[in-house]
Amino acid sequence: MLNRPRAEAQSLADAIIAVKDRVRLCSRCFSLTEEDPCLICTDVRRDATVLCVVAEAKDIYALERTSAFRGRYHVLGGLISPMDGIGPAQLRVKELIDRVAREGPREVLIATNPNAEGEATALYLSRLISPSGVSVTRLAYGLPIGGDLDYADEVTLAKALEGRRAL
Amino acid sequence: MILERLILSEVRNYESLDWMPSARLNVIVGANAQGKSNLLEAIALLGTGKSFRTSASGEVVRQSAAVATIFGEARQTASSARVRLGCRITLGSRSVRKTYTVNGHAARYAGYLGRMRVVSFVPGHLQLVTGPPSLRRALLNAALAQDSAPYYAALAAYERALTQKGALLRDAAPLDEALLAVYNERLVETGGRLMLARRAFTVELEERARTAYRSFAGASDGWLGLAYVPNIAFELPTDAGVQSAFRAQLQLLGAAERSRRAALCGPHRDDLRFTLGGEALAAYGSQGQQRTAVLAVKVAEFGFLEARSGDAPILLLDDVLSELDSERRLAFLQALGGYGQAFISSTGPLEVPDAAVYRVRAATLDQVA
Ligand SMILES: Nc1ncnc2c1ncn2[C@@H]1O[C@H](COP(=O)(O)OP(=O)(O)OP(=O)(O)O)[C@@H](O)[C@H]1O
Ligand SMILES: [Mg+2]
Ligand SMILES: [Zn+2]
Repeated sequence: MLNRPRAEAQSLADAIIAVKDRVRLCSRCFSLTEEDPCLICTDVRRDATVLCVVAEAKDIYALERTSAFRGRYHVLGGLISPMDGIGPAQLRVKELIDRVAREGPREVLIATNPNAEGEATALYLSRLISPSGVSVTRLAYGLPIGGDLDYADEVTLAKALEGRRAL
Repeated sequence: MILERLILSEVRNYESLDWMPSARLNVIVGANAQGKSNLLEAIALLGTGKSFRTSASGEVVRQSAAVATIFGEARQTASSARVRLGCRITLGSRSVRKTYTVNGHAARYAGYLGRMRVVSFVPGHLQLVTGPPSLRRALLNAALAQDSAPYYAALAAYERALTQKGALLRDAAPLDEALLAVYNERLVETGGRLMLARRAFTVELEERARTAYRSFAGASDGWLGLAYVPNIAFELPTDAGVQSAFRAQLQLLGAAERSRRAALCGPHRDDLRFTLGGEALAAYGSQGQQRTAVLAVKVAEFGFLEARSGDAPILLLDDVLSELDSERRLAFLQALGGYGQAFISSTGPLEVPDAAVYRVRAATLDQVA
């Protein structure tokens, strides 16, 4: 960097500042966007009856790459973890509840990671949302595609068995 | 299991080591602070991902190094199936990371644990009967987690939920009741599995331990008894039975947990009780009887893992044989008669038959017999 022309450094710096100025949080789903509301929230072809809850904005990109989900998103901004000082108040939980009341989706799909905090957060949200009659679902656990049954650990395998479905 | 080759890099005082131990008895002798325990600790780490000495894994990384690597090639005694295991400890700026490989593939801990089973026996275990309950829970967990990946998964999930519940009770004001209910439900589900597994395990352990005790002490001492003392008593040994008992106890202690801001019940407070001829061994037993009971339990733990996997686990005896009189020492080794491979450390010369003897000096091994 130090050996490059000053102009080059300047344009890089400008680009970083431009991103910082332009990119903000979508006021509905809290993902990162240049326009508010974001392109997903304003896309009328998307299914407004399914709301997918993710921990971070980057999880949206992973799900979008699959093209398999056509509903909308809600970004929590993390996972509940009291030991790290993160409770529901530190996340966009209240915003989620308000949104569910306002938009009235048929289904809330909770797509947090299958680790301890993702699991606890999902259970917590389910406790808050289910009483309103909205169906709360969770991503199924499974085996990695292309993975070997032989190599899967017993716990993953047991979870995959629990989540089996009819063919 | 037989460890055929052990390769260490930057582990404790070992800068590097490439060793092919004997398939039977390996006696490691040497003066203090030369690396005997470090070597056995490395083998325990290779098998279980855990040290028998410390819970701060970072200590294992050699001073001034940042990454410790333990690599091993092991073989099943009967089938000769081989497995290559790798355990790496990396010091980060704030945290310590442990990563694992099985046959060269990255593996999660749950898929790693149990591939090379070990039973370790260190002087601290001699307090098993009289020491704190945490020692006895550690015994339950060491055997069960190696035997069953679902047990380990339940244990890890339970401990995590317990930490989170503790933090919630301690720090959150006002208390979020829905969140507390979530952690309690996680504790019930995972803790219930621990309780059932511990109960079944203790029944088997008692049977094995009492036979072993009798073979050490003869009939004059009365029978050794070993009972699971769950923190939450339950009648029915079923999922529904333990879960409803656990829920009822949480209900009962709910107010106390809130006012004392701590999790007050669950299998993290479980215990084992030893008896001899029906009397509490910790209170009435002689030191010799208590020690004999510990040996019997170790033999039982070994037998349990061997029976469950159809293969003798690797036995690690750090400095304990020298703590035993020669009669008990021989009886102990005899009771393990069918043991496969063992690693025994000692400062003085040890008389055990048919052993490969290695002298360790400043982290270098030389075979002397
Ligand atoms: N992380 C580390 N880096 C370098 N050296 C270490 C590290 N941890 C421990 N040591 C050294 O290892 C030595 C202790 O080795 P070990 O515990 O294996 O001794 P030992 O042979 O079992 O002795 P004893 O007979 O006293 O039990 C000590 O000299 C200690 O300073
Ligand atoms: Mg030692
Ligand atoms: Zn949006």
